[in-house]
Amino acid sequence: MSFRKIDIDAYDEDVIQETELVEPDPRDPTQVLADAKQKQADVRSALARNDVTGALSIALDQAPYGPNVDEAKNLTLQTVVSILNSTRSADIPAVLKDLSVENQDTLMKYLYKGMAMPGWGDVSGSVLLIWHEKLTEVAGTGCIVRVMTDRRTV
Amino acid sequence: MSAPEVYSIAQTPVTCHAFNADRTQVAVSLNDRHLHIFERQGHEWKNIETLSEHDKVITSIDWAPKTNQIVTASQDRNAYVWAQTPDPHTGATVWKPTLVLLRINRAATFVRWSPNEDKFAVASGARAIAICSFDPENNWWVARQLKKPIRSTVLSIDWHPNNVLLAAGSADMKARVFSAYIKDVDKKPAPSVWGEKLPFNTICGEYSSPAGGWVHAVGFSPSGDVLAFVSHDSSISIVYPSGPTVYTIRLNSLPYVTLTWTAEDSLVAAGHDCQPIVYAGSEAGWQAIGTLDDTSAAGGAKAGGARSGPVGRLNSAAFNTFRNADTRGQTSSSSTGEGDTELLTVHQNTITSVRPYEVGADGRVARVSTSGADGKLVVWDAGAVSALTGKMSGMRI
Repeated sequence: MSFRKIDIDAYDEDVIQETELVEPDPRDPTQVLADAKQKQADVRSALARNDVTGALSIALDQAPYGPNVDEAKNLTLQTVVSILNSTRSADIPAVLKDLSVENQDTLMKYLYKGMAMPGWGDVSGSVLLIWHEKLTEVAGTGCIVRVMTDRRTV
Repeated sequence: MSAPEVYSIAQTPVTCHAFNADRTQVAVSLNDRHLHIFERQGHEWKNIETLSEHDKVITSIDWAPKTNQIVTASQDRNAYVWAQTPDPHTGATVWKPTLVLLRINRAATFVRWSPNEDKFAVASGARAIAICSFDPENNWWVARQLKKPIRSTVLSIDWHPNNVLLAAGSADMKARVFSAYIKDVDKKPAPSVWGEKLPFNTICGEYSSPAGGWVHAVGFSPSGDVLAFVSHDSSISIVYPSGPTVYTIRLNSLPYVTLTWTAEDSLVAAGHDCQPIVYAGSEAGWQAIGTLDDTSAAGGAKAGGARSGPVGRLNSAAFNTFRNADTRGQTSSSSTGEGDTELLTVHQNTITSVRPYEVGADGRVARVSTSGADGKLVVWDAGAVSALTGKMSGMRI
């Protein structure tokens, strides 16, 4: 029956909105994009100094979330993945241990986002899986649970 | 340090439990519509009474120690207050239910008596908390509702020792502190860290979970000056309202769903991780100090052989089972013990509720009780904390 397809929330005056559940990013969308570009440059210079932990921390701090910042989100994802791709797998555990707990959670968000991108499985799938395995060893299953619950999607 | 007392009281999950004042009887919900009362007989608990008044699953029970009344909340949107009265025909003492007019249109999820036992609060899926007090003129319990600004199902509540303030954890990812002041019942509360003037429905505090998880449980410290809550984003937060200072600990393992304070400087939290974890701290900071479930000792006492680690930790038992089936054609790996799914912890499934069991002479909670989805009721020595090192070594990749 078609009544199962009726959007009953449309008839509820007191319906809870997605926006009520998430604190919006205080920054302006253009500012967020400018920040993301600046971070990309900072990451490049950090990588040139061979400072992977520093580069990851720069990229993951104040990661863009919420609506209207898709360009900044994609840019940050590319920045993060470029760091992941350029790290030798033997160095990964040491890099992860030096990250803050917040940044570990944010990195896990980007790993899942990368796996969800269409076509990315062929390109960087194995890299993402290695990082995922090592990150779960360091941050535990709690880190994955937080990625699932957090509505501030990157 | 004494070993925990473990009682398997059911083959079904124990949704919640509440002991009477002298701990000779316990009221439990076995995830069905009946209120079961068990009595301690030696080293066993015997079901002495099954009370059927609710139509749907009983979600929460509380047993008032002084007035000896039980209150139950259920998914059938009702709450009953049970009191022992003599039966008019036989003269025997029976539990008599009194219906409470909650005026909610969704399931009741959680219920607790206030410290003075003259009020109780019922949390519900109707985005409301019903504060119920007795109306002697009409001889029934009447409810007043706390509604604003709750945006979703209320999952847990806890009373402040002053009988007026109420903490609530909700699925809108917030823990809140309300005033549940009822004019006819309460005396004017003394000013506290939560505020001075406290008319009904005053919001004294509102705190978000750190990564957007439902707030599963809330609890005031014994003094009432500190609030702790656990949420589904695998975190525990401890709030000092005067700052406000919020200490958040992000866990390595699966989320907690229940907590209880054992003293002003320590609390016990438990949940999907299947073991009660002890936290200690002060206004300067908080940290996990250990588990009540000494998994290393339990593993040694049980027959040897490899077992899977505590649930929620990385273990590749399932992966190995499939790999063995694939590469070696082994359907069960009895030789290696990898098919064994028994956990190292005492509870074999989610701990649904942890409550204070016995208060020691020094005012600290000496023992706590837990009930789990594995049908177990366990009484733990709250001082028998073993270090978390065993927990970490139990983590296998």
